[in-house]
Amino acid sequence: MSRKRAYRSKMRILADMMRAIQSEGEEGAGPTKILYAANLSHDRLTQYLDELVEKKLINVPNPESDNRIYLLTEKGREFLREFIRMERFSEAFGIEI
Amino acid sequence: MQDGLFALIRLDLIFEIFSGIIALIVTIYATRAYNLTGQKKLSDLSTGFLVLSAGMFGRVIGTLYFAIQYGVEGPSSTTILSIVTIAYGVSRIMAYLLFVIATRPARHQESLNNENMTGVSLLLATIIVDSNLEVIAIFVLVVVVIQAIINYFSSRSRLAFYVLLGFVLILLSHMMVAMTFTNPGMYLLSQVTQLLGFLSLLVMLVKAGRVE
Repeated sequence: MSRKRAYRSKMRILADMMRAIQSEGEEGAGPTKILYAANLSHDRLTQYLDELVEKKLINVPNPESDNRIYLLTEKGREFLREFIRMERFSEAFGIEI
Repeated sequence: MQDGLFALIRLDLIFEIFSGIIALIVTIYATRAYNLTGQKKLSDLSTGFLVLSAGMFGRVIGTLYFAIQYGVEGPSSTTILSIVTIAYGVSRIMAYLLFVIATRPARHQESLNNENMTGVSLLLATIIVDSNLEVIAIFVLVVVVIQAIINYFSSRSRLAFYVLLGFVLILLSHMMVAMTFTNPGMYLLSQVTQLLGFLSLLVMLVKAGRVE
């Protein structure tokens, strides 16, 4: 029995984006990879990437480059760990976040 | 006999303190999750466990202060102990009602919301019809357990199993309390079962907190 996720909170979308970046390790992830992994429109992707950079959860080592690569910061890694803890806790009680 | 009764009360209170501490830890965890995600159900869950732990600590403090300070046999302490017991019972029912709301299945949210409100209304009607707090607590907890079963079978997660086990043990402890009238030995066993239920929730917290 699988559960359909009808609505994703903004926090979950941000976490999905950060998971996509983390999955690429030290090399970082490009926008296309993040877009597909987080299942977002281009406009939303740009908006949320800017927000993550602004909050210092991710950074762009070469902002002038045509092929932008995003990396998780230490703050971002800690945020993602905390999110995963809370996600597991919530889902144990059947609460989707 | 008196010494035995006091020993039983003290042991019971120690179990209650441990259960209360675990309920408080779950409250802190649920509050952190709510602050991070803004999910209203987590706020309900947090409030539920807070009410539960407050009730437990209230009962411990009330029993210690009035029963041990002034003796169990005095007429005034009997009245106060009754008040403490009723307050404790009501706080637990309030907490379980919050668990019903917090753990309701997420699918078909709107239609289920209506069904759930009907369910809560029925539970409140039961409170009016039947004044036995233990029976009401059992009835509400059965709903919580059913929702935990649904959650476990839809997720098949080990953490959901610990939550289910925790709620089942807490339900069993209430059933044992209800049987105390016919078998007084069940009282301490019910407290042990309740503690085991909260320990199951603690195991879930520890496992949920282990992130690489």
